[in-house]
Amino acid sequence: MGIDFTSGFIILDGAMGTVLQQRGLPPGGQPELLNLTEPTLLAGIYREYIQAGSQVVYANTFGANALKLKRTGHGVGEIITAAVRIAKEAAEGTDTQVALDVGPLGELLEPMGTLTFERAYDLFREMMEAGAAAGADLIAIETMTDLYEAKAALLAAKEATSLPVLVTMSFDESGRTFTGCTVPSMARTLEGLGADAIGLNCSLGPDLLAPLLKELCENTRLPVVAKPNAGLPDPVDGHYDMGPEDFAQALLRCVDGGVTILGGCCGTSPDYIRALVQALAGQMPAPRHYNDVSFVCTPVCPTRLDGVRVIGERINPTGKKRFQQALLENDLDYILDVAIQQEDAGADILDVNVGFPGVNEAEILPRVVKKLQSVISLPLQLDSSDPDALEAGLRVYNGKAAVNSVNGEAEVLERVLPIVKKYGAAVVGLTLDKTGVPQTTEERVAIARRIMDAAASHGIPRVDLWIDCLTLTVSAQQEQARETLEAVRIVRHEMGLQTVLGVSNISFGLPNRPLITQTFLTQAMTVGLTLPIINPNQREMMDAVFAFRLLSCEDKECRAYVARFAGQSPAVQAVPSESGVLTLDDAIIRGLKTDAGRLAKEALATEDELALVERHLIPALDKVGEGYEAGTLFLPQLLSAAGAAQSVFEVIRASIAKKGGTPVKKGRIVMATVQGDIHDIGKNIVKTVLENYGYDVIDLGKDVPPETVLQTVQEQDIRLVGLSALMTTTLPSMEKTIQVLHTLPEPPVTFVGGAVVTPEYAKKMGADYYSKDARQSVEIARKVLG
Amino acid sequence: MKLDIDEALRYAGVRGEPTEALRRQAAAVATALTEAVRPRYTYRIFAVQRRTDGFYLPEADILLPGESAARMLAECDRAALLACTLGAQFDAMLRTEQARDMAQAVLLDACGSAWVEAGCDEAERELKARLPGAYLTDRFSPGYGDLPLVLQPSLCAALDTQRRLGLCVTESLLMNPGKSVTAVVGLAKRPQAARIRGCAYCVLREKCTLRKGGKHCGN
Repeated sequence: MGIDFTSGFIILDGAMGTVLQQRGLPPGGQPELLNLTEPTLLAGIYREYIQAGSQVVYANTFGANALKLKRTGHGVGEIITAAVRIAKEAAEGTDTQVALDVGPLGELLEPMGTLTFERAYDLFREMMEAGAAAGADLIAIETMTDLYEAKAALLAAKEATSLPVLVTMSFDESGRTFTGCTVPSMARTLEGLGADAIGLNCSLGPDLLAPLLKELCENTRLPVVAKPNAGLPDPVDGHYDMGPEDFAQALLRCVDGGVTILGGCCGTSPDYIRALVQALAGQMPAPRHYNDVSFVCTPVCPTRLDGVRVIGERINPTGKKRFQQALLENDLDYILDVAIQQEDAGADILDVNVGFPGVNEAEILPRVVKKLQSVISLPLQLDSSDPDALEAGLRVYNGKAAVNSVNGEAEVLERVLPIVKKYGAAVVGLTLDKTGVPQTTEERVAIARRIMDAAASHGIPRVDLWIDCLTLTVSAQQEQARETLEAVRIVRHEMGLQTVLGVSNISFGLPNRPLITQTFLTQAMTVGLTLPIINPNQREMMDAVFAFRLLSCEDKECRAYVARFAGQSPAVQAVPSESGVLTLDDAIIRGLKTDAGRLAKEALATEDELALVERHLIPALDKVGEGYEAGTLFLPQLLSAAGAAQSVFEVIRASIAKKGGTPVKKGRIVMATVQGDIHDIGKNIVKTVLENYGYDVIDLGKDVPPETVLQTVQEQDIRLVGLSALMTTTLPSMEKTIQVLHTLPEPPVTFVGGAVVTPEYAKKMGADYYSKDARQSVEIARKVLG
Repeated sequence: MKLDIDEALRYAGVRGEPTEALRRQAAAVATALTEAVRPRYTYRIFAVQRRTDGFYLPEADILLPGESAARMLAECDRAALLACTLGAQFDAMLRTEQARDMAQAVLLDACGSAWVEAGCDEAERELKARLPGAYLTDRFSPGYGDLPLVLQPSLCAALDTQRRLGLCVTESLLMNPGKSVTAVVGLAKRPQAARIRGCAYCVLREKCTLRKGGKHCGN
């Protein structure tokens, strides 16, 4: 008999860990091993909970994953089978159900740690399969602080079993988890992924969790779980400060907010559950008030679509030589730069399109999503016509994404909408079909209705469907602008859907394009466009958005508008050098990025790219380097100059890409932070400086296995390798990497550095050079590569 | 809680007097950091038993071996274990800043180090206030002197740092999130010398015989 989360109250159990500690177990052990050694003790605790009124008990499997069990000599299946059996035997003859308890893996996932999403999924899947096989009645994923890890676990549970799944996460008083996840992001992401109930557990007492639980109830239609601690622990003796009665009374206030599934976490015991059952007698579940809004998010950036939200269009190779080159060269850092510029310019959502001939989208889109999400906090809109690429991207996306796009063709709808539904995404529907772009408002609206019906039949909520009524070029089909605008009005105001429009197309082929585009954007927002896809770096476009938000009362008290424009004076001119004129060399030396880029563009009128590098860039960087060596300039200033040099290099690269030439590169260097080491700022500093001397750095990242370095060196015929290590504990893997490289017939030259590396160590390990800082790395590269 | 800009600049490798522009830049980074991230900490007090193989904390089943622990805990019957972290949010900020502007990132990294130390100072102040009559030693961490790094996982387990702070230890004994500190603070019944922080901070400064003889107790 399955459990029905949707009617009445359900009573869960209380703590296992702290109860075991009360019975003499030292903190910090591996409680899952007790399933093998102390089955009677555990069964006794379950029986106490069942007698107290628990309708669900959690099997003692919280940390029974392969990572945590690695050194115990016991397997996941063995522990989980034993744990579920003990709980089921204790529950025999009662209606109480047994949950497979799944806690965090104990290592942080990428990008915080080195555990990949895919590996986390596999580790969870092993647990889920074992739990289902052992006869667990449901799955309880709990104490999660990383939404990404919760997603991996939930996907594993859904894909490996058909059991109901509860997911609870831990928040602190600030309303965020340790990784910064917000309550709305958690609620809407996990509901979208198909959880059966969601909630909060651990970290705080019921008094402090109450406001967060209320917020959670407003952001989900699912039943909501509360499993709080017995207050807060006393740091001096570790005791929790809330007794059973106070705990139960405080939990009743959570019930007022809409919670229906209740239990306890750290510090609670069967007495707390008994008090809870008594307190709930005669209570009825409170009515729920769900806030049914359109929404996309990342964990840290919940984005309600209740006004105009700008979708940045720049991550797209179409018509951009430099972007195409970056894609073909696997230069994800360039794509990151494009993203950061748009975030800084005020975009709310970023469209991500990496489709280009010669690019395997299904392979690169998930990599780009991960890379962007390691740095950018904005929600993403995955833009592809390849359903496999969309699924691969959505799978690794952390949060609730949007998909761009489907259209009125039945085959496209049938292929893409199930993916959208599975991952709980929003989706853009283009009002076109096999016959092309309709010329009339009526036809556009008819297709929009068809897409709406299809979405509904796949269980996709109306708020998650965004319709694009398509902008055509006004210089070619002048009357079409009016048709588009009228269709936008109907879709927004009569059908009540979100509206998307790629705006820039409108002005193609006309002089003074920004004027037409800006005017059309304003017209469109006026009739109901909510999600303009624009280039946010274009000042006129964002100006129009800010003005519209003010006039439509979205920008309360005109704050954002005033902040954008108040005190705005003509662009601040950099102070010129002593001679009165700012030269390119000065701009680099003083780290003036914007000026350096502008002056480089000017210089290209009279000098070629190579001369710019040899005559200005490198001499200027050398001058800063000398100051750094002499101790008159410091690392931040060295890096500011490198940053300015980078903007010069961008100008040079763009200029060469435009001409179709090969980029200026002085030689390739592989760099890696060695296996086991996760702090890579030192390596990144060296990389920045080397790149701005014109070297092509192949950055293998952090925690890099020796074999990966070897493979890259072999495949790409590399002559210079830089390795970084921060801790004495990771020096052995640096040595190992050098040894592996020395197995090659012609080993590359190696240089090493990092906080704990000394010249003596370097020599002992067999490294060719010890590099004390970024500056010295440049000297080494010059010696080796010229 | 206050972030010490001079300390941060020292962490960034600045020696001597920094230029006004650099100091302003660092101060701006520090302000942005302290507005966005608060250090979190947790601590717990344990009894200490002197054994031949070191100082033993029975409730946590942790042994602190070696000369450093012996010197620091010589007069202590209890010790506080302490952990403090800037959390994953700091690491995320630092990743973003590294992609945006490496110079700013280096300053942010340095400010982070100063900020997590400020968090430890705050935890110690709180500890002092809760324990009137107890005298605290300087805090010391795995990796200090001969206190081994391998203690890191058991310190974190005893404090349940993954649950309380979101703080994990990797297999190679790195703490994750990156800006994190674990430490031991000895608790004694009489004033303790500032063996690590130095004579300038020491309560015994005025009557210290070592200091009168031109020496100090720090090594």
